[in-house]
Amino acid sequence: MSTFVAPSVVPPETRRPLPALPFEADRGKHAMLLVIATEAFLFISLFFSYFYLAQNKGRWQHNEPPKLMLALIMLVVLFASSVVLHWGEKQVKNGNSASGRIALIGTLLLGIAFFIIQIYEYMDHWHSLTPFTNSYGSIFYAITSFHALHLIVGLLILAYVLVLPHYRPTDESPYLPYKVASMYWHFVDLIWFFIVGILYIGPHL
Amino acid sequence: MSSAAVFERLTDIWESPPTLWGWLSTVDHKKIGKRYLVTAFLFLVIGGIEAAILRLQLARSDQALLTPEAYNQIFTMHGMTMIFWYASPILSGFANYLIPLMLGARDMAFPRVNAFTYWSFLLSGTFLYISPIMGQAPHSGWFAYAPYTSLKYSPGYGMDFYCLALIFLTISTTAGAINFIVTIFRLRAPGMAISRMPLFMYSTMTVSFVIVASLPALTAACTFLELDRRWHTHFFDLAGNGNPILWQQLFWFFGHPWVYVVFLPATGMVSMILPVFCRRPIVGYPYVAISTVLTGVVGFGVWVHHMFAVGMTQMAMSFFSAGSMTISIFTTVQVFAWIATLWKGRPVLTASMHFVLGFIGMLVVGGLSGVFTAIIPADWQVHDTYFVVAHLHYVLVGANMFPVFAAFYYWLPKITGRMMDEYLGKWSFWVMFIGFNLAFFPMHIAGLNGMPRRIYTYPPGYGLDGVNALSTIGAYILALGILISIINLFISVRSGRIAGKNPWNADTLEWDTESPPPPYGSIHIPTVVSRHPLWDEHDETHDPTGERILDQGRLTLATSALDAVPNAISRMPEDTIAPLLLAMAMFVFFIALVFQAMWLTLAGAVAIMLVSFYWLWPEAEIARAEA
Repeated sequence: MSTFVAPSVVPPETRRPLPALPFEADRGKHAMLLVIATEAFLFISLFFSYFYLAQNKGRWQHNEPPKLMLALIMLVVLFASSVVLHWGEKQVKNGNSASGRIALIGTLLLGIAFFIIQIYEYMDHWHSLTPFTNSYGSIFYAITSFHALHLIVGLLILAYVLVLPHYRPTDESPYLPYKVASMYWHFVDLIWFFIVGILYIGPHL
Repeated sequence: MSSAAVFERLTDIWESPPTLWGWLSTVDHKKIGKRYLVTAFLFLVIGGIEAAILRLQLARSDQALLTPEAYNQIFTMHGMTMIFWYASPILSGFANYLIPLMLGARDMAFPRVNAFTYWSFLLSGTFLYISPIMGQAPHSGWFAYAPYTSLKYSPGYGMDFYCLALIFLTISTTAGAINFIVTIFRLRAPGMAISRMPLFMYSTMTVSFVIVASLPALTAACTFLELDRRWHTHFFDLAGNGNPILWQQLFWFFGHPWVYVVFLPATGMVSMILPVFCRRPIVGYPYVAISTVLTGVVGFGVWVHHMFAVGMTQMAMSFFSAGSMTISIFTTVQVFAWIATLWKGRPVLTASMHFVLGFIGMLVVGGLSGVFTAIIPADWQVHDTYFVVAHLHYVLVGANMFPVFAAFYYWLPKITGRMMDEYLGKWSFWVMFIGFNLAFFPMHIAGLNGMPRRIYTYPPGYGLDGVNALSTIGAYILALGILISIINLFISVRSGRIAGKNPWNADTLEWDTESPPPPYGSIHIPTVVSRHPLWDEHDETHDPTGERILDQGRLTLATSALDAVPNAISRMPEDTIAPLLLAMAMFVFFIALVFQAMWLTLAGAVAIMLVSFYWLWPEAEIARAEA
């Protein structure tokens, strides 16, 4: 080419020779972060819809605010599950895969407990509010059941990580899937935190 | 090792077998990119045939070629096909084919996800086209305002197909966007710092982030609509305390950013083609890159300009009016960068360049009528008239289809290995250009004369006959122009001149590979020291020790996100049938959901789960551990 000359021609440096580079292990985490981002925008859309439907209606005054007790218990259960899972992740990272598996089972049990309480909460709530009552019922059950669906997916992912085989003759369990699955699980927990704040505590204020 | 042995070994590692199984299970980004291009182009043809039928009905006043309901269904299918299944996927096709080559990578970051996005794009389009076969296509226009879309006013399955086809496509598009982001941030050639990326990469990266952030609003809206229609909820139902305007808010929060999704990558392609044919680097590279990103960001602050006629506070309207005018500044920066490049360069008027220049002219017309509609009193005057139809076609056809044709004439020699005929290409351009302007410019006048959009006919004597007749003639001339290019493609594939590596003497890495490129791209992963790798003195493939051949399996280099310093070696997956199976399971799931066959829906969900488990099973890791 005649018109263009690069100012300086210096080949890019590498920190060490290529054959010594490690195998890359971040792609799964990057993708999961983006999945979480898009899911976060889904819940932002849902919360936006909640406030949008509520405008000019005094927060649907004729509907009584939802009871707090069970939602708070569920919050504690999920928070505990995240703590357990985080502990488990650290164990697996340090090569202690047996503890990691126990933590996974613990998380799964806590998740299932959450799910059972939520069914109970729905059955109780159903007497005063159904998705067919009005737009408040529709959006309330839409948000909580979207969360429940994400929770089910999270449980399936965790269960899958639990049955993943050991890669080597050593007792080392796969750390990367564990890490990626727990990122998703923490996200699902975080959403419940917002649900409790916006859907449960908000109407009492 | 001799170069023939290296060549054979790499081919052996990367090639998919030429069997049916190999065809269905390939994860090669070049094969997937080609499939995207062909499928999206077929959707362009289908949508074009629908447009031709519509124009026939509108050619004269008081025609009765179509019933009103048939007309509604056809214009809705036309809009959906063009906007969702042509305009964005065709750009994904180019991005799929070109981005790994431009980056010097061996494939996308997630090759299996890439295969999945193609299959689910294809099957979601197939899914949508079941509805016209049943005679129950969606009939509400592509933005489907509630409450018209409720079961009461839209009985039948049309709107259910609308909702679920879009949710299905959303999954495909989001997965693709995530794949592009990770690919662009992690797999660039050593030395291709973020300040040296080709501009097409900037636009694809920007729209990928836009997709990640905006598509969930569409998913939410479509879910609400489906729940309202079949499960008796009250999101959009005033009687149940719902709010039909919620649909518009959610839809346009997605819808306006989507305009940039189908527009920005096209400008990115122009920013790569135009400098090559001006024989100089683009003027103002950083400003073009920054305004591309800012268009994506500010694109989230303008959605309400589709809703000025709804009625809202002065404050809100002023804000969104100002936002809409602001965003035109970023497009203007790009336009002036192109004009300056033309001014300072020595333009070569190839067929591709014709399409680029035509695009710039029509973008200015469409952009100005966009500024016009950003001004609220003017918007009220022309809202829902043919003026808006003219505006959106100048922007979408002018700024998506013309750049896409420019890109075909520019990159098809790389893809097929043979040159397109320049003479036929220029003919195709002029016929398309004249046809396009004849079809859409009179629509401005029809709109200002008061012709509403989406009306199946009009009475004589309102000054609408002449302009509509012109539009119809123009539409058929446009179709003829497209046909010339299709013929050109077939001639080129059969007997075109052999293209060679770099027929345009272009500057970016994809031109450093053979045409068509072998399955692994280039033998040595290239290194880059400037924005124009093939125009500088550095030899990209200089690799005396052969350490960048990476022939110990499917491998490619991972580099740091900003400076592109190599920091790891990425393992790439083998071919697999799982992506196709997953897309098929989703197809079953959504079909069952349309007809509320709940057991089948559940079976579909279980199938999705099982296929995902099969997909994620760490076969390669286990094999390595045993070895």
